[in-house]
Amino acid sequence: MSELLVFSNYSMGFKENNKVVNLIDNVSFAVSKLAAVGIVGESGCGKSMVSLSAMRLLPANAIIQGGEILLNGEDLLAKSENQMQELRGKQISIIFQQPMSSLNPVLDIGFQMQEALTRHFPGTSKTEADETIALELRGVGIHDPAKTMRAYPHQLSGGMCQRVMIAMATICKPSLLIADEPTTALDTTIQAQVLDLMAQLKQKGSILLVTHNLGVVAEICDVVVVMYAGQVVETGKIEDIFKNPQHPYTQGLLASVPTLTTKKSRLHTIQGSVPAIWDFAKGCRFHTRCAMAKSLCENEKPESCQAGSPGHIVACHVYGGYI
Amino acid sequence: MDSIMEVVNLHKQFEIKTGLLTKAKINAVDGVSFNLVAGETLGVVGESGSGKSTLGRTILKLTNADSGKVIYKGEDLVPLTSKQMKRHRSQLQMIFQDPYASLNPRLKVGTSISEPMLANNPSLGRDEAKRSAIELLELVGLSPQMYNLYPHEFSGGQRQRISIARAIAPKPSIIVCDEAVSALDVSVQAQMLNLFNELKEKLSLTYIFIGHDLSVIKYISDRILVMYLGQVVELAPTDAIFGSKMHPYTQALVSAVPEPNATKRQSKRIILEGDIPSPGSVPKGCQFASRCFMKMKMCMEAAPNLTEVEEGHLVRCHHHARLKKAAQDVPNG
Amino acid sequence: MARFVFERAIRGAITVFVSLAATFAIIRLMPSNPAQLLVDPLLGPEAVQAMAERLGLSDPIWIQFGKYIMELARGDFGFSFRTGQPVGPTLFSKLGWTLLLLIFVQGVSVGLGVPVGMMAAIKQNRLFDKASNTAVILGVSVFVPFLAFALLYLFSYKLKLFPTGGAFTPPMKHGIAFALDVAWHAVLPTMALAAGNTASIVLYTRNSTIDILKEDYIRTAYAKGWHQGYIMRRHALKNTMIPTTTVISLNIGNMMGGAIMTETVFSWPGVGRLIYDSVSKQDYPMLQGAFLVLSITVVCLSVITDLAIMAMDPRITH
Repeated sequence: MSELLVFSNYSMGFKENNKVVNLIDNVSFAVSKLAAVGIVGESGCGKSMVSLSAMRLLPANAIIQGGEILLNGEDLLAKSENQMQELRGKQISIIFQQPMSSLNPVLDIGFQMQEALTRHFPGTSKTEADETIALELRGVGIHDPAKTMRAYPHQLSGGMCQRVMIAMATICKPSLLIADEPTTALDTTIQAQVLDLMAQLKQKGSILLVTHNLGVVAEICDVVVVMYAGQVVETGKIEDIFKNPQHPYTQGLLASVPTLTTKKSRLHTIQGSVPAIWDFAKGCRFHTRCAMAKSLCENEKPESCQAGSPGHIVACHVYGGYI
Repeated sequence: MDSIMEVVNLHKQFEIKTGLLTKAKINAVDGVSFNLVAGETLGVVGESGSGKSTLGRTILKLTNADSGKVIYKGEDLVPLTSKQMKRHRSQLQMIFQDPYASLNPRLKVGTSISEPMLANNPSLGRDEAKRSAIELLELVGLSPQMYNLYPHEFSGGQRQRISIARAIAPKPSIIVCDEAVSALDVSVQAQMLNLFNELKEKLSLTYIFIGHDLSVIKYISDRILVMYLGQVVELAPTDAIFGSKMHPYTQALVSAVPEPNATKRQSKRIILEGDIPSPGSVPKGCQFASRCFMKMKMCMEAAPNLTEVEEGHLVRCHHHARLKKAAQDVPNG
Repeated sequence: MARFVFERAIRGAITVFVSLAATFAIIRLMPSNPAQLLVDPLLGPEAVQAMAERLGLSDPIWIQFGKYIMELARGDFGFSFRTGQPVGPTLFSKLGWTLLLLIFVQGVSVGLGVPVGMMAAIKQNRLFDKASNTAVILGVSVFVPFLAFALLYLFSYKLKLFPTGGAFTPPMKHGIAFALDVAWHAVLPTMALAAGNTASIVLYTRNSTIDILKEDYIRTAYAKGWHQGYIMRRHALKNTMIPTTTVISLNIGNMMGGAIMTETVFSWPGVGRLIYDSVSKQDYPMLQGAFLVLSITVVCLSVITDLAIMAMDPRITH
């Protein structure tokens, strides 16, 4: 079996004032072994909640409404908190958008690295641990590991902190690394360094990359999952999505990003703005902004169907041929 | 090409506390000069610590420059007192990244737009001010009914439209947009970029468009100014800057932009080593030398000057004669 | 570091001097004459005047103050009006008892307040949190002398669990027996003083922990696979203690006020009790010395607090 992580009809929402508001609606996708999958979407589309769901680190008011999240065929949603703790950091790791605040300001880097290792390898001696940590730090391009280990987070730059976070997340050699907007807070040239590093990591394990930046996805990933308002609208290989997008949202999104090759004419736009969770539309959640929407789109959620090449899946009534 | 503003050798230093009693000076803006051509969009691009935001604020006298000139309508703005500056204020507007922070949460957005109009021109009258505010709302793509809503009732993109409406209300000639689309979602960002272009045509505006996203800056700008640690490293018409004779930093910046397409890059991306030096401890010689892939001994010793490598194209690099067209995957124009 | 301590020492000395001058003046503004208390009224006003002169009270106040400072500079705290004994030795023997009580009180309030506060933060808006919030409101609002009397009445008169006063039962025992005896005597005064302290520490710890639990680095620690107990101990505690330490140092200052009443109610032989006795007897040198010693103690503790915060928080550079 080559599928490492599988989301299958997964739904979750939030409990607010004794009512449950749905965010993620029947999301399905898979991350194969040694592959990088990107989840792209705009703010509030639920992409970060997908990544936190895989870690089972959701906020306290989150409610899982159904589906399965399988890691190596085992349902993570059926595991106890203790079982999850055994997996976190060892099987699945995560890095976040704000590397600086993701490190504890009052503990030195050495300690924070070491506890990531000894959590799952408690027998490790101090010297062994230090050696492993130094090796990992070198692996992420930190040339003076001893100095970095003694440093506190505020003494490092954002790019260095993100390197440390990556070293920390991969120190137990997890089979899956989740990266939630790992370069969004970084400068362009530093982002390039971190993306370069992540491309190398792909050879050692799977990556689930969550981002709003289509360029970052194109750079790293093999497969793209496009989300809109908690629903997966399109999934496919990089070439499918970027060369042959089928969903009106994916098409609109790609056309509206200015790139270095964009001609200086009017940009394509998607009308309206990204809805907040309590404003999600019925039926196809994108229909309120879709230029092709028909009455069917308002009432019925479109089924996913295959579009052309294998693995290219689109959830749209227009494509599905119902209209 | 008429120049609408001329910035000459502008300097701005900040003091930062490095210890209990010790202070260090950082050059946020370090001898910046450029001409702003009427009707153009000048893009200012740079990373953190490049001084791009400080430059925008200093030009509009939101912070006072230490030295240098900002000549607008034949008058140097730098020595003006805030009272003397008043007569230019309405002409020079600024739009910020976070529209929510720049709008008063307790004021109806209509009032936020009409109040400053009344303050500038009391003879206008309340009804007239309201009518123009509504016109402005429509101009930026909002509906007249939104006049009576409060900022929190709007989405991020709509709020940015409101702050644009407020900025264009006093009929300015120059607007400095500081990361004005950076906080917006991709689909909304495109709407705003179009709006900026439309308004520029309709109201004959001149923009200084500050940002960190090279793709956005390239799309919106007629000329681009690249900053690094407070200095201009390159200034050129947009096509020229992506065409040939790029500064090594600009080359790296262009090469670092992840492009949303499925074609794998043909040439290897330039990965700069190390971090951006903190502006407090700038190396001597060329400021970029510590990270430059073309550095030579002379770069560590002497600071290069801005040199015109072709007409209207300035580059601050010792190797300006050797510079060539950047990596192939950067398309021309 | 040395420079920081030096700067703080200078500032501390200024604080102590200002408080010394203020208390010196305030004591002498009390509307009666200590000489009158010390002389048999039958001897007449001349004897009172003679006594006042002997005590140095007839000089103008700045001369008195000048003389006092000169004496202090030689390490001389003067002589008690009441007993004629030198103030210094009395004061230092009493200060020991007050510091002991202070350590008990802070030990109890930190030892109880920090874990309860953190637990309340974890169980935010649940039963434990609500119960502790109620207790906090009671704790901060209770009037210390009232609480002292209530404890005394309930636990010593009614239940006879604890002694009614003093710091030990005479004759003085030795070694462990003495320590246990003192601890037994200290229970009620400690409870009386610790209630408000603990309450404020619970409150601050709870609030700062709630903020800290929202921090990204807490999420990182969970992502490493650690459990809540470890994360609270290794990641939340130190960050929580930084603001809480400031509260502890403020508490110590406030506690000195409560100590006067509590030590009096429980006949605890500390500086607080001494102040109470000296006020009623108008014993100026003793009062002056007691306030001086207390202000020095508070200043020293605040320097220690700052050093502790610096040790805990690497972001503070010096």
